[in-house]
Amino acid sequence: MKLQRMRIEQLRQFRKPFVLDNLQPGLNLIHGPNESGKSTLVRAIRAAFFERYRSTAVDDLRPWGDSAAAPTIELEFEQDDRTWRLTKSFLQRKRCDLAVGTETYSEDDAEEKLAELLGYQYPKRGASKAEHWGIPGLLWVEQGTGQDIEQAIEHAGDHLKSALNSMVGEVASSGGDDLIETVRSQRDTLLTGTGKPRGDYLKLEKDRAQYELEIEELKERVHKYQEQVDRLGKLAQDYDQAEAERPWEDAQRQLEEARVRYQQVERLEQQQNQEKATLSQLQQNHSLLQQNKEHLEGLSRQLEVRKAELDRAERDLSVAEAQTPAVTGRLTEARTAYEQAEKQRKLAGLLQTRERLEQDVRRLEQQKQVLTQNLAKAKEYHQQLEQARQQARENRIDSELVKKLRATGNQLNEETIRSRTIATRLSWQLDAGASLTLNEESLTGQGERQLLEESTLVIPGVGTLGITPGGEELASTRRKLKALEEDLDEQLKTLGVESVEQAEDRLSVFESAGRAVKHADELFKSLAPAGLEQLVSDQKEVDGELEKARTQLEATPKPDPKEDVPALEEAEAAFTRAGNALDKAESDERAHQSSLSALKQARDNAKTEWQRLADEEKSPERQQQLLQITTDLANIEKQQAELEASLERREREIREARPDFLRQDIERYQNAVNQLRQTQENRGRELRDIKVRLEAWGAEGLEEQLNEKEAEYDQCNRRYQELHRRAQALDLLLNLLTEKRQALTRRLQAPLQKHLNHYLSVLFPEASLEVDEQLRPGTFARGTELGQITELSFGAREQMGLISRLAYADLLREAGRPTLVILDDTLVHSDSDRLEEMKRILFDAASRHQILLFTCHPEKWQDLGVPPVDIQASKGQSMQSQE
Amino acid sequence: MPTFLHTADWQMGRAFTRFETEDGAALVEARFEAIETLAQLANEHQCDAVLVAGDVFDAQTISDRTIRRVFNATKGFTGPWVMLPGNHDAALAESVWTRAQRLGAVPENVNLALQPGVIDLEDQRLSILCAPLTQRHTYGDLTEPFSGYQSPEGFLRVGLAHGSVQGLLPDEIDSTNPIAPDRAKASSLDYLALGDWHGTKQIDERTWYSGTPEPERFRNNEAGNALIVEVSEFGATPKVTSVPTGRYQWHQWRETLAVQSDLEQLLERLNALPESAVVDLRLEGSVTLAGEETLLKALSVAEARFRSLGCERSGLQLTPTDEDIAALKADGYVGEVVESLRERQEGAQDDVARDALAILAGMLREREQEVGQ
Repeated sequence: MKLQRMRIEQLRQFRKPFVLDNLQPGLNLIHGPNESGKSTLVRAIRAAFFERYRSTAVDDLRPWGDSAAAPTIELEFEQDDRTWRLTKSFLQRKRCDLAVGTETYSEDDAEEKLAELLGYQYPKRGASKAEHWGIPGLLWVEQGTGQDIEQAIEHAGDHLKSALNSMVGEVASSGGDDLIETVRSQRDTLLTGTGKPRGDYLKLEKDRAQYELEIEELKERVHKYQEQVDRLGKLAQDYDQAEAERPWEDAQRQLEEARVRYQQVERLEQQQNQEKATLSQLQQNHSLLQQNKEHLEGLSRQLEVRKAELDRAERDLSVAEAQTPAVTGRLTEARTAYEQAEKQRKLAGLLQTRERLEQDVRRLEQQKQVLTQNLAKAKEYHQQLEQARQQARENRIDSELVKKLRATGNQLNEETIRSRTIATRLSWQLDAGASLTLNEESLTGQGERQLLEESTLVIPGVGTLGITPGGEELASTRRKLKALEEDLDEQLKTLGVESVEQAEDRLSVFESAGRAVKHADELFKSLAPAGLEQLVSDQKEVDGELEKARTQLEATPKPDPKEDVPALEEAEAAFTRAGNALDKAESDERAHQSSLSALKQARDNAKTEWQRLADEEKSPERQQQLLQITTDLANIEKQQAELEASLERREREIREARPDFLRQDIERYQNAVNQLRQTQENRGRELRDIKVRLEAWGAEGLEEQLNEKEAEYDQCNRRYQELHRRAQALDLLLNLLTEKRQALTRRLQAPLQKHLNHYLSVLFPEASLEVDEQLRPGTFARGTELGQITELSFGAREQMGLISRLAYADLLREAGRPTLVILDDTLVHSDSDRLEEMKRILFDAASRHQILLFTCHPEKWQDLGVPPVDIQASKGQSMQSQE
Repeated sequence: MPTFLHTADWQMGRAFTRFETEDGAALVEARFEAIETLAQLANEHQCDAVLVAGDVFDAQTISDRTIRRVFNATKGFTGPWVMLPGNHDAALAESVWTRAQRLGAVPENVNLALQPGVIDLEDQRLSILCAPLTQRHTYGDLTEPFSGYQSPEGFLRVGLAHGSVQGLLPDEIDSTNPIAPDRAKASSLDYLALGDWHGTKQIDERTWYSGTPEPERFRNNEAGNALIVEVSEFGATPKVTSVPTGRYQWHQWRETLAVQSDLEQLLERLNALPESAVVDLRLEGSVTLAGEETLLKALSVAEARFRSLGCERSGLQLTPTDEDIAALKADGYVGEVVESLRERQEGAQDDVARDALAILAGMLREREQEVGQ
C-alpha cells in the first residue's frame, strides 16, 4: 500500500485545504514544530479509516468555533496495482466515497471495503477505540505508545490470523475461534479451569454423594431394624420358653434344700458350743475341787509351823527369865552404892562444920585481945551498957539462921504429913488378948500405923508377914524426910538450941537486948563515940562467942582421921550419881519385868493357836470332807472324758457336712435364682423396648423411604452421568480444538520469528526474542540476561515494540496484505547509538514498506537520506496552489 | 362349588428407580389400581374368595399411608381375602402385618395367614392351607405339613404358598423357599395357589403361579394377570382362567443399527406400540449424523407419547459421512478435530469422543442454520 496524496479541509487548524503529495514509496520524513499540525495529519489519516462518516463522536475534528464546518479528508493510495481514492466528510456533511480503479463504493459499503482491506473494525457506536483498530493499530504508532506492543497485537488478533491464513495453507477454520469460545463457555458452565466440576454438575455430584450418604444411612437403619426384628423373634422365643420351663423355680428348690442342710449344721454347731461351755465349767469345777483338796491336805503342815512358833515363844521367855537375877543384882548393887555415897556426904558435912568452928575460935581470941586493950577507954557508960550487953549476951541468936531453921522445920513437917498420906497404912483391930508384933513392936487392940519402910508383922501362932510399901515416891520421900531431919538437927546444933521453939524464944530475947545495947551504945557513942564500953562489950561479946565456939567445937564429934573423907561437893556429886544409877537400875528392872510378862503372853497365844489347829487336824469332819472331794473329782473327770468324746464326734460330723460349701451353695443358688429371674425380667423389658422401638421405626416406612431415595439417587445419578459425559466430551472437544488451533499458530510463529531476528540482530547482535503462542514477543535473552520484554527499560521496550511491528509488517507483506507504517514522533527515548541502529533498521524496512515518520525533531533524522517535508512550507505551497 | 381368584406378588411399596419421577409415580399408582381391578374381577366372576400368594408388600417397613391404601384398595370385594406373607413381607416377630394390625388397617373380611395352618372359610366351604414365610429365608419346604392338615368334610382343600417349585423354574431364580413339584398331589390339594414367580405359569393341572397383576420389570413374561379358579366338583381338575389385569406393558428392545433401513424399521415398530407402553431401548451399531438427527427427533416424539421411554445409545457409534461433514462446513482445523474424534470413537470405542462428536456436530449444525437464516 502506498499513500500518494492526502488533502484535508475544515479540519482543526486546517480551515483551508491542505495538500500533502509527492509521498515516496519508502521512507517519508514529515516534520514541523509543535502546533504546526503534525498530529492533526496523523489524526486525519486515522479518522479517514477508523471513524464512521456518520459518527457524532468526532467533534475534535471541527475547527475551533466553526459549527458549520464539514471536516473533509481525501486520500489517494495504491494497492494491488490499483488506485484507491477515498473522500470522507464528517459532521455537517456526512459522506464517504471510495473509488477503486473503475469501481466506486459509498457510505457503509465504502467503509466495509476499507476495513476488509486493512483488517480492522468499526465501533458499534461512538468514537473508535484501540480495540477496534486491528492491524492498523499495530502498524500505526501513536505518539508515546510505541512500547505497548502486546495490546496492539491482541486487538489485531483475529485480523492477523485471517490475514496470515494464506501463508500456512487451508488450516484456519471459518468461525473456528467462535466455535472454540462456544465450546469453552459451555464447558465452563460445567468445569472449572482446572477441570473440577462446577455449577449444576458440581451440585449433582454433591447431591449424589448426599444421596449415597442418605441411602447408606437408611440401609444402616433398615439393617438395624431387621436386627431388632430378629432380636425380637429370638427374645420372644426365649421368653416364652423360660416362662414355660421356669428354671428359677428349680434353683429356688435347690436353694431351699441347701438352706435346710445348712440349718442342720448350724444346730450342730450350737450344740457343740453349748457342750464346749459345759466342758469349760467342768474343768473349772475340777480345778476348784483340786484346790480344796490341796488345802485340806495342807493342815498338818500348818500344825508343824504353829508348833515351831510355840517353841520359839517359850525359848524367848526362858531366855528373859534367865536374865532376871542379873537385873536384880544390878539393882542391889546400885542401892548399896547409894547408901555408901550417902554416908560419905554426911561425913564431909561434919568435917566442914568443925573447920568453920575452929576458925571462929581463932578469930574470936584475936578479937578478945584487941577489945581488952580498948576497954579502959569506955568506963563511963559501961554500967548501962553492960547491963544491956549482959542481957544481949545471954540471948544472942542469929535471926537468919532461926528463919532458915523455921523453914526447914516447916518443910519437915510438910514432908512428914505427905509421907503419911502415901505410906502403907496398916490398921488393925485385934481381939482382946490378941497381939501382933510390928517391927518388933507389939500391937494390941486397935490402931493404925503408916509404913514407909519394909516391915515385918508377926502374928503369933501363925507366922510372919513381910510388908513392902509400894509406889515409886515412897522411897524417895522417905529419903528426903530423913535428909530434912538431919538438916534440922544440924541447924539446931548450930544455933545451940534444943528445938525450934527455943530458938524462936531466944531470938525474941536477943532482939530486945540488941535494941537495948543499940540504945546504950548510941548513948555511949554520943558520949564517947570511940566507945570504951563498946570495947568492953565487944570483949565480952567476943569472949562469949569464943566460949560458945569452943563449946560447939567440943560438942562436934571429931572425925576419924584415918578415914578418907572427901570434900563436901565431891561427896554430894557422887551421891547424885549414885542416885541416878539407882534410878536406872530400878527402871531396867521394871522394863525387864514388863518384857517378861509380854513374852509370857506371846507364849500363851502360840500355845492356844497350836492347840486349836491340833484339835482341828484330828477332827473327823475334815476326814469326811477330804473323802467327798476325792469322789467328786473322779466323777468330774469321767464326765469330761464323755464330753470330749462327744465333741470330737460332732466336730467330725460338722466338718463332713462342709458348712463353707453349704454357704457357697446357698449364695450360688440365690444368685442363680436372682440371675434367672433378672434375665427373664430383662428379656421382658427388652421385648417391650424393642416392640416400642420397632413400632416407632416401622412407622417411618424405612424401606419405602429407601426405595424412594434410591429412585432419587438413580435420577440424580443419571443426570450426573449425563453431565459428566457432556463435561468430558466438551473438555475433550475444547482440548482438541485448542490443540489444533495452537498447532496452526505455531506454524505462524516461525516466519514471524525469522523477521524479528532479522531486525534484532542489528540492534543486539547476541540477543534473542522469543515469540509466544499468541504471536507476541515474549522472552528476551541477551547473554546471561533473561526476562520478559515488559521488564526492559522504556527506551528498549520502545525499540523492541518498533522492530516487532516491522516484523509483523514483513509477515503481512509476505501474505500479500497491505502494509503502511506510520510513526508519530517515535524513538524519542533512544540514545544516539541506539537511534543510529534504529535508523538502519528503518531504512531497511522502508525498502519493503512505505513509512511515514512524523517528527518535531528533524535534526535527529537528518542522516536518514530522504528529503524532509516541512509542514509549514507545505502549508504555504497549499495556499499558493489554491490561489 | 366355589370359585376363587388367585393373585400374588403385589410388591406394594416398591419405588421405580430407573424412571423419571413422574413416570415412577404413575407406575406405583397403577399397582394400587391393579388391586382395585382384582376386587372388581372377583365381583364380576362371582368369586367366593381372593387368595393372595405372598409378597403383598415389597418390604417390611413401608409408610403407614401405603399400608392403609393397600387395604383400602381391597374394599371393592367384600368377600373373604386371604393374604399370605411371602419372602418380602415375612411374618416376623415384628412385620408389616403386625403394624397393619396395630394401625387397625386390616378390614374384617381380610384374613392374614400369619401362622402355618388352615383357615377354614365356613360359608364358602373352602379350607385354605397356608404356608406363610415366618423367616426371611427358608431352606425347607414349608408346604410339607400340608399333608398333615385336616380339612372339614365337604370343603375344598386349597394350598397357599410362596416359593420356588423345585426343578421347574430357571436356575437364576433364588432357590430358597423350595416347594416340592408334586405338592398338590402329595397333600391331596384341589388346587395349589403359588406366588413368587412374577409371570403367570402353570406347574401342573392343579398348581399355578398367578404372576403379578401389574408388571414391574422388563424381565418376566406373562406378567399382569390374575387367575380365576373354578372347581366343578370334588376331585375334579380345576378350571383356571387367566384374566389380564395389567395397565402398562413393559417392552425391552435390544437393537443393532447397521444400515439406514434398520433405523427406519425400528422407528416403525416404535410407532406401532400403544401409549400404555413402558419402553426400554438399547441401541448398538452405528448411525450417521443425519441418522442420529432422525433418531433423536423420533425418540423425542415417542417420549411424549409413551408412559415411559428410555433409550441407551452409548453403544451406538456416530459415523459422519463426507456429506455430513460437508453439510456442516467443518473446514480448517475444525475439520481436523471432527476427523480426529471419529478416529478415536472407532478405534477405542470411546464414549467421550462419541459425545464430543455429537456436540460438535450439533453446534456446527446450529451455526449452519443461523447462517442459512
